[in-house]
Amino acid sequence: MVSASRYLTYQGIPVWRHVQVIQWTAQIVSGILVVALVAWFFTNMANAIQDRDIPYGFSFLAREYQTPIGEHFIPYESSDTFLYAIIVGFTNTALVAVFGVVLATALGIFIGVSRLSGNWIVSKLATIYIEFFRNVPLLVQLFFWFYIVLALPPIRKGYVVFDWFYLSNRGFSIPWPHASNLTVALIWLSLALAALLAGVLIYRRQSRNEELTGRSGYPLIYGAATAITLGALTWLALSFATGASPFFISVPEPHGRFGNLVGGFTARAGLLVLLIGLVMYTASFIAEIVRAGIQSVGRGQTEASRALGLSPMNTLRNITFPQALRVIIPPLISQFLNLTKNSSLGGAVAYSDLTSIAVTMTQTAPAVSIFMLIMASYLAMSLTWSLIGNLYNRHIQFGGR
Amino acid sequence: MASPSTHSPESMLPPRSEVGVIGWLHANLFSSPFNTVLTLISGVLLALGLWFGLKWIILIADWTVISELGGRFLLGRYNTEAACNGQNCFWRPQAALIMVSVLLGAAWGLRGNRVARTVAWLVAGVSAAFAFLPYSLETMGLDVRILLLLNLPAVPLGWALARYTPLGTGSRVTMLGVAIFFLTLVLLRGLPWLPFLQPVSVVYWGGLSLNLILAVGGITLSLPIGIALALGRRSNLPVVKVLCVFFIEVFRGVPLITLLFMSQTLVPLAFPEDMPQNSLFRAAVVITMFSSAYMAENIRGGLQALHPGQAEAARALGLPGWQTTLLISLPQAIRNVIPAIVGQFIGLFKDTSLVYIIGMLDVVAIGRSFIQSNPEFLPNARELFVFLAAVFWVFTYGMSYISGKVEEHLGVGRR
Repeated sequence: MVSASRYLTYQGIPVWRHVQVIQWTAQIVSGILVVALVAWFFTNMANAIQDRDIPYGFSFLAREYQTPIGEHFIPYESSDTFLYAIIVGFTNTALVAVFGVVLATALGIFIGVSRLSGNWIVSKLATIYIEFFRNVPLLVQLFFWFYIVLALPPIRKGYVVFDWFYLSNRGFSIPWPHASNLTVALIWLSLALAALLAGVLIYRRQSRNEELTGRSGYPLIYGAATAITLGALTWLALSFATGASPFFISVPEPHGRFGNLVGGFTARAGLLVLLIGLVMYTASFIAEIVRAGIQSVGRGQTEASRALGLSPMNTLRNITFPQALRVIIPPLISQFLNLTKNSSLGGAVAYSDLTSIAVTMTQTAPAVSIFMLIMASYLAMSLTWSLIGNLYNRHIQFGGR
Repeated sequence: MASPSTHSPESMLPPRSEVGVIGWLHANLFSSPFNTVLTLISGVLLALGLWFGLKWIILIADWTVISELGGRFLLGRYNTEAACNGQNCFWRPQAALIMVSVLLGAAWGLRGNRVARTVAWLVAGVSAAFAFLPYSLETMGLDVRILLLLNLPAVPLGWALARYTPLGTGSRVTMLGVAIFFLTLVLLRGLPWLPFLQPVSVVYWGGLSLNLILAVGGITLSLPIGIALALGRRSNLPVVKVLCVFFIEVFRGVPLITLLFMSQTLVPLAFPEDMPQNSLFRAAVVITMFSSAYMAENIRGGLQALHPGQAEAARALGLPGWQTTLLISLPQAIRNVIPAIVGQFIGLFKDTSLVYIIGMLDVVAIGRSFIQSNPEFLPNARELFVFLAAVFWVFTYGMSYISGKVEEHLGVGRR
């Protein structure tokens, strides 16, 4: 027998057959390869930056951006800095993401439940909706809505409801609360928040009493009454003390020859189209997630609930849906992420989202630095959604299983 | 001994409200007052939608924008003077299409699969039908029409090749498919040393063929890369795991459009200046990697859902680790997540429309640029995008239909 010591051995096994040695060699080699590749990329980039005088670094952030931004929801002037412009883009994207997520979830749940309806027409309509909106690229849908909105009549001839809502080729205008005095408004907002908290506390107490004693505690009525009364009282007190109400409702009104709308809140064509497109598209995915979630709840649950005398609506709301949520939440969160990332298509329909502002910026500022910031921003938004989702997920999972 | 009574108890027919058309209507539309109201409301909505929709499609909509764009939908600016520069290159995409017909025919001949047969005849039939479009002979020459008609005999040719020649095995038809894909790329791109195959720059590629090329390449590559990433992420080798997690999370965390734009501004800097640059290739790589990251997560989900007993039993039977993974875990994991994988394929196909950000004129961008450069067609943008939606829908719905058939064939959910 040939002694093993004739070969290079580790723990008495020839090294080329020793699993751990092979694994570590492979890892070290692949690690070195990746590091070498990245180093090669960086040297090339450094060379290119030197040879072609490409600007780099982050000093541009303090410079004036000097480019108008089509749509902004925090005050912005062309003389503001690059950093501030990026923040404007971030708020634009975040605004679309938050409103889009809320609306898409509502629509998606509605359509997902409709698809499971026992009513044949309703379930078929929901199926058609899902199969259509899910299978067509978002970009095509956005362009479709974009040209629909562009083809709307001008403001003077647009669609007006009660002189409050204006739909025209400029966008959609609605009445909106405006602060008459910022300090007073902020004071009232914080007091209103406290009132809301008090309402939630009352709601919790009443529902706990209900559970313990079995007597109806009307938690929702008590909670809402507390919050509204406290909110109204502080409103009245502040109005008396300062002589002006914290907020007033500003109604859009046409001014001048072209009927530019003043006051209210105007979702301009870009924002309107992006919101409609994102909501309709994402809702079709959410509907499928909701359907799968509800179907994952055992039939016995529904049957038992019906046998106890709960109505179909109550069964869905109190028995099926809470259990389905455990299945629904994780994929739902990834749809929220997708919606946030898909809002980067805003540039195609003239909405100044983070990506489109970044693309414009690359003409006057170093692309490398801008994209590092943009990637960090999207990653931050993704993490925020994941965090919210995970917290909620932990809240609704079964305890002790 | 008492014989069993031959007299059967009086049997009653079910009430009329529970059988037949009336029974169906009662159960599905009018089972409760609430349901009746729902039926009426949605029925009215449906009727209104159908009435106005059909009226718009048939009477109001002006579809001339579609015929005006014509072949540009399929080929973009490929067959223009600027792209081909003094040579005839109309036949190149046509030849590629005929090869695809042969391949589909071969796929049908392989196992006599009904779905493959339908797809093959559908593709060839639609291509041949294009030969009879009512354009004048100057706009669409006789040579183009004949090449389009050749798709019809191409299908039985492929079928016969798979049936009666040694080509008829799965792996050989797959290799034929890969060969045809590369041949198509070479045909479209051209070779500098062949006089009849002069190069055509990729900036002139466009239309639906560009979407399809990007999608086919991306789909074929993203599945194996995704599998590798998923296995890497689950491996117990720390270096491999960290690299895979980093790759997956970065590509999943950033919008594709941002990545595509970066591929045009940053990636060229990372390579030496004298290296040949190809923007389309970079875009294809980015789309594939983006899709691979999502694919990896789908497959990881499938692997996680697999009962550990499967792998343990395989190891107990003496299979080495790599065989356990390749022969036991992966096939089951993939079978269980087919819907998610196909969903990702569909997503990739839809995402190919994002190449507009790097200036490529795919089928959506060519339509949009046509509208913008011809303002007289601005009112017809609706027709254009409805048509584009229909085109994409046919492909994506076809993909999910085929995936349903595959699932049925593999017996997903029945085992």
